Amino acid sequence: MRAVRLVLLAAGAALCWVMVDGATRLNAVTGFALLSPLEAWFHYAVALLGISVGLFVWDRRPDSRAGVLMTAGSFAYVLGELNVVFPLSALAVTAGLATMEIGSAIFGHLVLSYPSGRLTSRLERGFVLTAYAFTIVYSIPFLLFDDPRAPHDPDVWECPFCAVPYTHVGWHNLSGTRHTLDEVMFVLVVLFLVLLVRKLVRAAPGARRVVLPLAAVTFLLGTRFAVQVGLFLHGSSTNFWTSPAMFWSETIGVLALSLVLSAGLLWGGAGRGAVADLVVELERTPPGSVRDALARTLGDPSLELALWLPERASYVDREGRPFELPASGAGRAVTVLGAAEAPVAALVHDPVLLERRALLAAAGAAARLALENERLQAELRAQLAELRASRVRIVAAGDEERRRLERDLHDGAQQRLLGLGLALQLARAQLGQEANGAAEILSEADAELRAALDELRELAHGIHPAVLTEQGLGAALETLAERSPVPVTLVEMPEERLPATAEAAAYFLVSEALANVVKYARASRVRVSVLRLHGRVLVEVEDDGVGGADPSRGSGLRGLSDRVQALDGRLELESPAGCGTRVHAEIPCG
Amino acid sequence: MRVILADDAALLREGLARVLAGAGIEVAAQVGTAEELLPAVEKLRPDVAVVDIRMPPTRTDEGLVAAELIAERYPEVGVLLLSQYVEPAYALRLLDGGRGSTGYLLKDRVLDVDDFVTALQRVSAGETVVDPALVAQLVGRAREDHPLDELTGREREVLALMAEGLTDRGISERLYVTPKTVETHIRHIFGKLGIPTTPAHNRRVHAVIAYLRS
Repeated sequence: MRAVRLVLLAAGAALCWVMVDGATRLNAVTGFALLSPLEAWFHYAVALLGISVGLFVWDRRPDSRAGVLMTAGSFAYVLGELNVVFPLSALAVTAGLATMEIGSAIFGHLVLSYPSGRLTSRLERGFVLTAYAFTIVYSIPFLLFDDPRAPHDPDVWECPFCAVPYTHVGWHNLSGTRHTLDEVMFVLVVLFLVLLVRKLVRAAPGARRVVLPLAAVTFLLGTRFAVQVGLFLHGSSTNFWTSPAMFWSETIGVLALSLVLSAGLLWGGAGRGAVADLVVELERTPPGSVRDALARTLGDPSLELALWLPERASYVDREGRPFELPASGAGRAVTVLGAAEAPVAALVHDPVLLERRALLAAAGAAARLALENERLQAELRAQLAELRASRVRIVAAGDEERRRLERDLHDGAQQRLLGLGLALQLARAQLGQEANGAAEILSEADAELRAALDELRELAHGIHPAVLTEQGLGAALETLAERSPVPVTLVEMPEERLPATAEAAAYFLVSEALANVVKYARASRVRVSVLRLHGRVLVEVEDDGVGGADPSRGSGLRGLSDRVQALDGRLELESPAGCGTRVHAEIPCG
Repeated sequence: MRVILADDAALLREGLARVLAGAGIEVAAQVGTAEELLPAVEKLRPDVAVVDIRMPPTRTDEGLVAAELIAERYPEVGVLLLSQYVEPAYALRLLDGGRGSTGYLLKDRVLDVDDFVTALQRVSAGETVVDPALVAQLVGRAREDHPLDELTGREREVLALMAEGLTDRGISERLYVTPKTVETHIRHIFGKLGIPTTPAHNRRVHAVIAYLRS
């Protein structure tokens, strides 16, 4: 491809040289000079610069079609002047007339598709196609009917200024058609300016920075073009070739276009500066806000950051939660930072940023260290989340174990002891009147057995009250309140069942708190409330006792605090001396 | 009197059957699950079904559910529920049916054969029986500023017996007073507690327990 570009460069240089040569000799051929030698030199030097810049951008930014378009536009721009510079050559006139407006269409295409060279909206695509079609249509009457000789003599068949397909009908007969074509052209130019403004308005902030200089230059150039066409429509003969103002404004406009285009594409506009800013900013960035810094630098507020965890071989967000990269074609683009087999992170961003791969890569490289840091944090968070989940599982397993234990006691030992008790009753009945020591021994055994049954019942109830499993927290707390020696008021109870772990945690919390009230508080009343609010169970046990409870005193309350914390909840104890004690806990419940 | 025993602990069931047989009560059938209980009741129509609350498969309240079904389908069959723990919530649920011929006792009561047989007879006679331990827990509950405090000692005793399901006559026999005295006590109690007097026996028990629970 490079050879093609070199050939094109040589061809461009040769063409411009030929044009300069032709323009400076024009005086000798036609009897009047359109351009002074200096103007001719400058004009075609600018055109050659346009070709060179186009080829250079094409070489350096093969991802963008802008270089190709710039090259083609510059060539078309020069070729479109062949008919003026070589009016005696029918071939040159034909080539010039055929290409005279195509350059404008290509430049329009270039600007609207800048910086990728690919049109994104259907509207723009439609407009560019229309413009190309129009430039071809526009040339047709000139090729067929343009006869610059004045006055026109239809008897002379030789026409040195005419194109090859010239029909000898004479252009002046079709001046109405030409007027209509110019009107359409005027409308198209205005439409182009509107589309240009629309493109600027709709661009992401970062993209806008890149597009703005080119758009500004193009806007001026386009406006100038519209003025020229407008003047022509009003019968003014002022044109490019006869007015120095028109000449210089257009030539300098094209020069500016080349410079802005190359600067924008080759140096990434403000991108490099933004990356430098990013490096400085990351120094000061608090952990966890690398995404925000990158979003600002790349001008894409919708940017998402996915961090790669090698252990899991998957992406997570910065909280350590699994992150699914969007499928291709979902309107989002993904750029992986780091080596493909060992990525550091992935950016999920607006596809428009793909046009600035160099900036993406530079920003990614600049943020590399900060991203590594962020990744470690995400890893830590993921582990923490895993730890939390496992603590919840352990508590749930503990609860389940207690339930099972209670059930085993109920179904096993308690039933067997009762069976044994019944056997004792039978034995006593059998023994009947034979009142010797045996009856007495049996009576003692019976009393022991009943005591054992009572103790076993209390034990099983303490391990995990059956009523909690079967009837829920409300019923279990009712029973707890009924058995308490200190009056207990249940202020509020959830009507529905809660998750088993939350019910168990709340139950044992109230149970332990009530036990503490009885043991230490010397209270005359206790109020208990359990409230489900925003996915949490709020448990409160409040007494009017002496206060001054020390959380480090008993292992009971600390154990409860651990249990509550394991469920990702929290426990607070307020116990000012003389003002009662308040235990407040929040337990997540889904 | 004919009874059916429903309990998944075979050892206990056998022992109870023998004890009851010794007391002159016919055990018409023994079953180990709630599913077997209903067909047995359908077939044998006993005077009372003695049912353990926790039975397979889930061992939660199968017995209670079966008891509710029996109460609904066979009004002439009494149900005596046994439980390892007596919970007011269960007692209220059981009494909500409002039909009498219902009892709810701690399982340990089977060891006191005479009392147990009495309870069976009362259920069979259409009365309501509530475990004294449950009643004691309810009456003895610590409360602040409660109308119960206004009751005299004697009135509390009467209230507890009422909650256990005893009739006026039963209470008078237990306390060695005349039924008329019991009536007076009950009028005073209902007045002080603000419970509307209801004639139906089991409704009275229900009202008292509901009150004590509140």
